Amino acid sequence: MRWIVLIAAGVVLGVFAFDIQVDDLHSPTERAAAQVVLGWTYVAVGLLAWIRRRGNPIGPLLVAAGLAWLARQLRYADTAALFTVFFLLGDVCYALVGHAVLAYPTGKVRGRFERGIVIAGYTTALLFPLAALLLYDGRSQLIQMQPIPHENLVGIADSARAVELLQKTEVIVLFGVLATLLLVVIVRRLAGATARERRMLAPLLVAAVAIVLRAVFECVFTFVDRPFAYDYLFWWQFAAVIALPLALVAGLLRARLARVAIGDLVIELEHTPTSGLRDSLARALDDPSLELALALPGRRGFVDDSGRPVRLPENDPRRAVTTVEHDGEVIAALVHDPSLLEERQLVQAVGAAAHLALENARLQAELRAQLALVEESRARIVAAGDEERQRIERDLHDGAQQRLVAMAIELRSAQRRLGGNLDPEVERLLTTTVDDLQTAVQELRELASGIHPTILAEGGLAAALDSLAARSPVPVTVTATRDRFAPEVETDAYFVACEALANVAKHARATHATVTARRDNGVLLIEIEDDGAGGARLDAGSGLRGLADRVEARGGHLRLDSPAGQGTRVVGEIPCAS
Amino acid sequence: MRVVIAEDSVLLREGLAKLLEDEGIEVAARAGDAESLLLKVRSYHPDVAIVDVRMPPTHTDEGARAAVTIRELHPEVGVLLLSQVIEATFALRLFTESPAGFGYLLKDRVLDVDDFVDALRRVARGGTAIDPAVVGQLLGRTRPDDPIATLTDRERSVMELMAEGRSNAGIGHKLFLSPKTVETHVHAIFSKLDLAPAPDDHRRVLAVLAFLDTRAAEPGGRS
Repeated sequence: MRWIVLIAAGVVLGVFAFDIQVDDLHSPTERAAAQVVLGWTYVAVGLLAWIRRRGNPIGPLLVAAGLAWLARQLRYADTAALFTVFFLLGDVCYALVGHAVLAYPTGKVRGRFERGIVIAGYTTALLFPLAALLLYDGRSQLIQMQPIPHENLVGIADSARAVELLQKTEVIVLFGVLATLLLVVIVRRLAGATARERRMLAPLLVAAVAIVLRAVFECVFTFVDRPFAYDYLFWWQFAAVIALPLALVAGLLRARLARVAIGDLVIELEHTPTSGLRDSLARALDDPSLELALALPGRRGFVDDSGRPVRLPENDPRRAVTTVEHDGEVIAALVHDPSLLEERQLVQAVGAAAHLALENARLQAELRAQLALVEESRARIVAAGDEERQRIERDLHDGAQQRLVAMAIELRSAQRRLGGNLDPEVERLLTTTVDDLQTAVQELRELASGIHPTILAEGGLAAALDSLAARSPVPVTVTATRDRFAPEVETDAYFVACEALANVAKHARATHATVTARRDNGVLLIEIEDDGAGGARLDAGSGLRGLADRVEARGGHLRLDSPAGQGTRVVGEIPCAS
Repeated sequence: MRVVIAEDSVLLREGLAKLLEDEGIEVAARAGDAESLLLKVRSYHPDVAIVDVRMPPTHTDEGARAAVTIRELHPEVGVLLLSQVIEATFALRLFTESPAGFGYLLKDRVLDVDDFVDALRRVARGGTAIDPAVVGQLLGRTRPDDPIATLTDRERSVMELMAEGRSNAGIGHKLFLSPKTVETHVHAIFSKLDLAPAPDDHRRVLAVLAFLDTRAAEPGGRS
């Protein structure tokens, strides 16, 4: 009902305005039509915004501005009442448009400065015409009015000079001072906006252009007699002023489209993998900068979708945080552009629509976080084992081995010093003891090298594999890259070869084996192949099983291919960065 | 002959010193780390510095690095590196940089006193002493088309001793062969391995070790 009344008012006012423009003001038809179209555009676009964004006063403001614009034309009528009323109210349309611009996009005018501009606008638009009317004698020429007498119903004094002064001052205040302040506000808002806000505020640029053109037009019209560029300027400012409400409402409806997107979001999330969740939410909220933080259960902080810990921004004016709760528990936090705080309901709605997907994502993230922890601890265990091996090797080297060699030297020394004076039995005993000690030292050396081969650190994998092959009872051909790798990578590869060759010697009944080590696409590939009996298995408890664990702890793989009677092939793939 | 001993284990250092003195070798000074070794080599100008590869503070390769420094600053001083473990690549690298007056032996070779003293004297004279284990590591594996495989067992033994740095007389003594027979074998080895005859002992060692090393380093054909 309300809409019908407003539309009817618009149509009626439009028809009257057109008649008065043509008959009383003697405007050319196209210009009269343009004025009417301008008013109708404000009304129509304002109604659209009113219906689609209920509660946002920009729609009503634009409708009012449109109606006020059409009504303004009635002051040119040849009737005393129409002239008096609409000369008084004629300038309110400018204040309404300024108000709508300042209220964009939330509908609220923020800050004392901006509210001051709005109030000053309405006051100027009403008080100056009122004062002019009170002093108008009903005969002299009014600025912007046709050169005929206008019967004035409220005149109390006659001062043509004062009226002219009042009219000129009004134009200076409205289109000089207040329009400039409005432009300052627009520039300030755009300059201080985040990227998302700036896209949202883009219609204000159109508004700024319209305000400038209209202000120039008004000033020229007021202060220059029969301006030569009048026609030219008219159409330019007309285009800008008609574009202003279109831009504002388009901006409002774009935000409205985001609301519509929640419906799409629910459907989209059905088919979106967890990895695409952030992008879907970013689209729904129209905020490409959106970050998603998933809450680990039990208030253990937030992680990203790959399980890495995330810190939420605090006191950062460029970022805002909205938490998503479900059943009283925080399940996620959206880190977004602060402009979205204006649309808290939208963010909440998007969070609610996505809660199942978020719940899902957070469980996955928790799993990943736990998996990462397990992998880390696994790698640490292997590293600790390696360190321990190294320590034992060093202890053996610096301790037992040295001591045994020293002892043997001491005995040998005694044996030689005493020489022929020795009892043959003692001489024999000394000789065997020194020989035994020497064997012990050799065995210890083998043992220490098995625990942690020094040659690996000093000579690299190729040298260590050579030395390994040299000790193998089965002939071994080694083809190894001379490249050096991280110590733990070399250690892994070495132990794989070590264990595999030990198996070859013990079980395979092979006549020949090959060891290959090469770099291949970010992994060190170690391959041991024999021509023996095959049938080996990666059973629990076997040395190979332990090695598979070691290699997997490093993020690699160990494969065993050992069909009965066809030899055995062990392939280790150990990741080696670069 | 005068030597300086660098060894961080006191027991070993003293034992070795006593043993060498009993053999009539003058132990001019003893050092427990690389720094004092360099100082004592400069002060005493020994014929040979006997150096433990691993020494304080990191127990990795301080001795080896000190050895390289000695070779640079005092080329007339022989260096005999002693190691608890054998690492062929490492030894070879040190050796090929300056083969004259260089030795690399396992510590327990000291127990074969006569061989050890012989090696020490070779190094003192500017000769070479390479541990049999190094030669073994380089030689250990064979493949069908390997020229080494064409050597007779006797020739192979001769080559191994040659690679250790022994002279013809030393080889003959070790294998109970006459020097002339040894020379025949050496000739046969050089021609079978396609090596140019070398005039002196350590060039000969170098040629043989280089042969073994390149054979080991051939891409795709390392065995």
